[in-house]
Amino acid sequence: MTAETKPLRPTARMWARTKLPLVAFTLPAWGLVVAVLAIPIVSAVSLSVQNQSLDLFGPATYVGFANFRTDVLTSAFVHSLVVTAIFITIGLLVQIPVGLWLATILHRELRGTRFFRSALLMPMLLTPVAVGLMWRFMFNSDLGVIDWFIRSTGLTQVDWLGSANGGFASILIVNSWQNVPFVMLFMLAGLQALPKEPFEAAEVDGAGGWQSFRYITLPLLRPVLLIVTMIMIVEGFKLFDIVYVITNGGPGTATQNLSLLDYRVGFTFLATSRGAAIGVVMALMLTPAYILWTRATRE
Amino acid sequence: MSPRPLTRLRHAGSYFVLAVATIIALFPIFWTMSTSLKQIVDALSIPPKFIGFHPTLHNYSRLFHTPGFGTAYVTTLEVTLGSALLTVVVGSLAAYPIARRWRFLGRRPLEASLVIIRAIPPIVLMVPLFNLVINHGLYDEPLTLIVVYSAFNLPFAVWMMVSFIQQIPYELEESGEVDGASRLRILVHLVLPLAAPGLAATTILISLIAWNEFLIPLVLAGNSTRTLPLLISTFVQSRTIDWGVMTAGATITILPIAILTVFAQRSLVSGLGLGAVKE
Repeated sequence: MTAETKPLRPTARMWARTKLPLVAFTLPAWGLVVAVLAIPIVSAVSLSVQNQSLDLFGPATYVGFANFRTDVLTSAFVHSLVVTAIFITIGLLVQIPVGLWLATILHRELRGTRFFRSALLMPMLLTPVAVGLMWRFMFNSDLGVIDWFIRSTGLTQVDWLGSANGGFASILIVNSWQNVPFVMLFMLAGLQALPKEPFEAAEVDGAGGWQSFRYITLPLLRPVLLIVTMIMIVEGFKLFDIVYVITNGGPGTATQNLSLLDYRVGFTFLATSRGAAIGVVMALMLTPAYILWTRATRE
Repeated sequence: MSPRPLTRLRHAGSYFVLAVATIIALFPIFWTMSTSLKQIVDALSIPPKFIGFHPTLHNYSRLFHTPGFGTAYVTTLEVTLGSALLTVVVGSLAAYPIARRWRFLGRRPLEASLVIIRAIPPIVLMVPLFNLVINHGLYDEPLTLIVVYSAFNLPFAVWMMVSFIQQIPYELEESGEVDGASRLRILVHLVLPLAAPGLAATTILISLIAWNEFLIPLVLAGNSTRTLPLLISTFVQSRTIDWGVMTAGATITILPIAILTVFAQRSLVSGLGLGAVKE
């Protein structure tokens, strides 16, 4: 990828001159990592086996795995886990095909592609909270532009924010609105990096557009597809802002995913230790992602 | 030489898909901005008024007079710029030895830590962080927000700078080494000036992410450090939502990002996929 740098074979003095400063370069980064990752993780683990809460007067005591029994092995947690899984699964099933489809069209480099690419990327980086507000206004059942559109086309009205299915649908729509451009961008980069020869050979052999897509493009894109899928799963666990603004987990707790559950327990119910226990389990669930991602960055 | 009919049909189909997708991508933004300029009767009229209403800045003047708006705006700018600066400086320093593939103490653990920061759900860290911040009297302080934002955004900065530094040939640095310049001097006077476009791209992307941050200030900011996303999120919590002020608030929040997405697109695009996809 880059010019290989010469390996340094240090004598003691060279070591002091060349290696010591290298560690020094990373010390500020270590400062941030220790303060915001390492200490909080240790603290989360220790909190999770105590009964610390914000309305507890007096010292916290050790309670063993009680928090894990009362907060993790419960229907509320399992429900939130299922909600998280639904958001991730349906999100992937919608966002990856649509993103890939748009990317293949942009990849044809038709006239005006640059304009379309700019326009399609627009939703990607907009403030999620603001995006949630924008869509909430459009989802409004009496005054919203979406229901007006649905009524004027004669379809059945949807109770977007008042029903469980409507809540799921609205969060998935808003989430996809922001994620599809991201997937599209990745896929476009992947397509542009593919070698030209297999496609030329296929054309000579008379393969149609769909055939060359199915048997050449897709297999070659496999690594990119896997990475995008991994990022989407990670982002799915993180999903918080738009859920908070659009349904706030409602109606009831129908759309309350793990991040929101943990927030509620930790900050609405002020149960710090119980929140920490939920967090520890969430962090552990993502272990495969840390390993895969670390491998991906090292290759 | 006109294209074959089948190709033409495919082109037409492509343009149709692109046009529909573009409308879906842009309409919510257009709708929010236009609603923010409407009087309440126009904003809530059925059928909707897409054009042909009397524009007014009334909603914006009400937004600007919302208690706490000025403070929130200034705080958001301060925290965004402060954390972008900190993240980029710390990130560039760490990126340099990583980019050059030198072996040094703690290299692998640092790389693994960056991946974990990027992948761990932030709420997991926010619960214990809140506890720590309260216990050390750091609650509701801009500096606390700046440091926490920077830590969460550090992976983006490091990965972006690594890829930009790797585009600079190492031979240039060897001449500096011969002259006996220290590594830090080589980085500051030789490498970073050459990586200036990358430095700019990183700063822009990190600023955008910091501007959008919600969960961190939701937990760590009190009344004096409330940020813009926090302020506008309160607009939906009241029973009767004031759509005029809400759309004005959403517009003010997304406007800088929409502008940067148009004008700094290449910078942003180059940074987003890094750390996961190798070029």
